[in-house]
Amino acid sequence: MATYTSQTGVLAIARRWLRRVAIGVPLLALTIWTVFPLLMTLSISFKSKAGVSTDPGLIPSNPTLDGYRSIIGQQGFQGAFFNSVVVGLGTAALTLLLAVPAAYAFARFRFRGRHLLLLFTLLPRLIPGLGLMVPLYRLAVAVGGIDKISTLILAFTATVLPLAVWLLVGFFQQVPRELEEAANVDGTNMFQRVRYIVLPLAVPALITIGVLAFREAWNEFNLVLGLTSTPGSRTLPYELFLMTQTTGFQDNPGQAAFAVLSIIPFIFVYLRIEKYVVGGITSGAVK
Amino acid sequence: MPAAEGDALSVRSTERPPRSRAKASAGEDRTKLVGHSRLTPYVLAAPSIVVVSVLLAFPVLYALWGSLFDTDSIGGPQRFVGIDQYTRLFTDPDFLWSINRTVVFVTGTLIVGLTLGIAFAFPLNRAAGKLRFLRGLTIVPYLVSGITTAVIFRLILNRDFGQVNRVLEFFGLPEMSWFSNPNLAMLASIGAQVWSDLPLVILLILGGLQTVDPSLTDAADVDGATAWQRTWKISLPLVIPQLALATVLLSYQALTSLGVIVALTGGGPVNATRTLPIALYETAFLHLRTNEALAIVVVILALNAGLTLVYVGLSRRYDMVGN
Repeated sequence: MATYTSQTGVLAIARRWLRRVAIGVPLLALTIWTVFPLLMTLSISFKSKAGVSTDPGLIPSNPTLDGYRSIIGQQGFQGAFFNSVVVGLGTAALTLLLAVPAAYAFARFRFRGRHLLLLFTLLPRLIPGLGLMVPLYRLAVAVGGIDKISTLILAFTATVLPLAVWLLVGFFQQVPRELEEAANVDGTNMFQRVRYIVLPLAVPALITIGVLAFREAWNEFNLVLGLTSTPGSRTLPYELFLMTQTTGFQDNPGQAAFAVLSIIPFIFVYLRIEKYVVGGITSGAVK
Repeated sequence: MPAAEGDALSVRSTERPPRSRAKASAGEDRTKLVGHSRLTPYVLAAPSIVVVSVLLAFPVLYALWGSLFDTDSIGGPQRFVGIDQYTRLFTDPDFLWSINRTVVFVTGTLIVGLTLGIAFAFPLNRAAGKLRFLRGLTIVPYLVSGITTAVIFRLILNRDFGQVNRVLEFFGLPEMSWFSNPNLAMLASIGAQVWSDLPLVILLILGGLQTVDPSLTDAADVDGATAWQRTWKISLPLVIPQLALATVLLSYQALTSLGVIVALTGGGPVNATRTLPIALYETAFLHLRTNEALAIVVVILALNAGLTLVYVGLSRRYDMVGN
């Protein structure tokens, strides 16, 4: 009997270890899968052009800022970075400006056309940016909107707006109607109720939407390809794409530095508001 | 909704406060919040509806219309050719090859993406305590643009200095020239695509796993099930809705992925990775054959609409719209 229990004890320990390994190994793999490409890029960005080949280790033996200097000094990069910031903030602002009243209407009113909301949820699925690239290019040519920052802002806003309205309707519906009714008795008008009651309660949703809109504008490539033709009007992804298309000797540390510089600002924003964004991504995906 | 049914429905639809408060007559409910006329909702929703219809819906109609025309020279007069563009496309070996490449690329992305998604999400769901930070880390690739992802993969897969080849060397495997071998180039593209979309898959599966009733897995433990059996026989079947949605979303992403491939392989070598988006890019912006490009747009939109039907079907079946 005694040997039996000790055997099961050994078995239990073995099992516990097996379970730890079964969870630990995939998690380690996941970490490597996610972090390794980013770390390698970071490492290359601190090497010299020649050092990339001669010094293949993860930690550069002679770290240098040459890659960053060459990229930051480039007019193309400076202009694209500036454009990306403007287009990103503009898209976030315009999206919120249009989505808040629309979502309020869908959440609080019963009106003919309310069923358009369902269509709203499906449109971005039906029409990917890739499908818009060529037709919007023709449309922009026709109205003289090529190479304009405002065109990019408008186009990106249109692609995130459906999701933004959808997310906000859900949030607005959770704001108890009684709160608004009470304020109504006190004689506030609709604008004041939205401003002082509904919006403060929906701040997490507003942040999520702002970040998703900014991300869309910051990362979108297809529409920039279709809607811009001159160097001064491009955003970061297009500028980086052109860098990879140069024939001849590639500036690898420069490209790595470019990649790092276009990811880093975003990661800082993301770290501060992670929980909102994670919720927003999944609901955006499911809905 | 008929007013007479308002009371009967109000119990069931309590999750939707504004609608469920149909007490006496649903129609009068809105007048409780005074300070606006009947036009108010239209005025509020109009700007969004206009922007979305002009910039999303109109281009689709334009593509359909424009694909029925052709020109003899770039910018020349348009003449109506009916469905000629389509018949030409579907007899063009280059275009059919693109469809072939798209099928391979989407299938590959699905196989690799779902396998990794399951392999990573299940242990992630059981990771407790300090390891929870891994969930936040998982999202990072989602913040990286397709072009940047491609640049990162170009660097790590580089034949001369890429670390992936160093790792292969360490395990005694031969160096791979990822971008000159057609099959390897396809594999590299699939890898980059999965890298940037895996966060979505993992988050979806995690979301499903978190709704799995712990009493089910506890009951299995009591009955002596191994962890392996518990995962395959209980948890996995319960997240099938999420897996189905992840399948559709991954297909969407792969079908419409231009940035990742165009910057990673440019469609090469020898057109090995020339998927439909690359064909569209070349036709529209390199060869400047706009009408033909619009026909390709319509083909892509049609495939996408097919996926959307599947998506709506799944959402209905698993009751996930509104969830």
